[in-house]
Amino acid sequence: MIELYAITDDPKPPAPPLQAVQSDGLAVLYAEAERREVTSETLWRHEQVVEKLMAERDLLPVRFGTLVPDAHAAAQAVAERRAELAISLDRVRGAVELAVRVETREPEAAPAARAESGRDYMSAKARRVAKVRLVHDPLALAARESVLHPGPELLRAAYLVDRDAVDDFVALVRRLQETHSELDVLCTGPWPPYSFAGESS
Amino acid sequence: MRDDKVLAGPLELDPFAPDRARLENSLTRRVNADPESVERGLAQLVLTIVELLRQIMERQALRRIDGGTLSEDQVERLGRTFMELDKRLEELREEFGLTEEDLNLDLGPLGRLL
Amino acid sequence: MTTIAERDVALVDLVDRLLGGGVVIAGDITLSVADVDLVYVGLRALVSSVATAEEKGALPRMGHAL
Repeated sequence: MIELYAITDDPKPPAPPLQAVQSDGLAVLYAEAERREVTSETLWRHEQVVEKLMAERDLLPVRFGTLVPDAHAAAQAVAERRAELAISLDRVRGAVELAVRVETREPEAAPAARAESGRDYMSAKARRVAKVRLVHDPLALAARESVLHPGPELLRAAYLVDRDAVDDFVALVRRLQETHSELDVLCTGPWPPYSFAGESS
Repeated sequence: MRDDKVLAGPLELDPFAPDRARLENSLTRRVNADPESVERGLAQLVLTIVELLRQIMERQALRRIDGGTLSEDQVERLGRTFMELDKRLEELREEFGLTEEDLNLDLGPLGRLL
Repeated sequence: MTTIAERDVALVDLVDRLLGGGVVIAGDITLSVADVDLVYVGLRALVSSVATAEEKGALPRMGHAL
């Protein structure tokens, strides 16, 4: 079995132990699968491989743990979705993903739970939405694309940012944090474009 | 490379830390197939979907309120409906011995749903 | 130097991505994914696209019932 790491249209071959199989202009980057337990260490190691690849080429990361019997099977799977993958590659070309999470110090349940009227309840909710927009809206403008993820935080989002605009984006995150001291704003990355590799929403 | 992933953040990172035990546990999780947990699992699934719909509807209601097309009375009724729904969901959760965390749904390796 | 806190915090974003994102190619997935888990995968993707669509104003407004 082989494990798939990424899909790219860059012809540059990967460094061993990774190999590439071509399929009509697209290449699947893979390596021999190893039997292993899934731990945070395994995930980090996998991520390091993908990030090293990303440092040298634009790519679509494949979901972790994708095993196929051999290179032929990999090429076939990619051929079946060629058009869609090519579009996704164009979408992420020259960009990386940044993750942002925002928490508020004010517990969510409290104001809504204390609400004495339907109006109060809706107002408390509206305030929460407004807080999210304060951070998300400027970041979305600074990014190529953005996607909101489910999560317990006030905001959990992914932003597709041009490689050379990452520093500016992070500076913007910091400014937003300074402006809104009642919020905690976290930004991690750069990540391979996991959140933008599927079908366009 | 993985060492510098935090690009910006508050001094105290606690609000963003995972429940470590829960995370590691879910990564090596075994699927529990006894009948009682299957029923509980189904209740969890159904209630999560309802909670999900509630959140979607609530957000859409907020957009309408924002648009200024609703009367005070309508806003009041909307709010009361959602409050009631919230309360009812809480009761159902208790009936099945589920916490809000359960409904926030640990998807195992896939993390929380809501 | 990365503190334990920073690594843990980044782990949340890592898991989100590696296990919930990326290209999904038909293959044997090493993580045991029961039928119920697949439903959750679908729900999660649905929540993401709904949240994003709402944010972009792409969802229709509610009916008069409420």
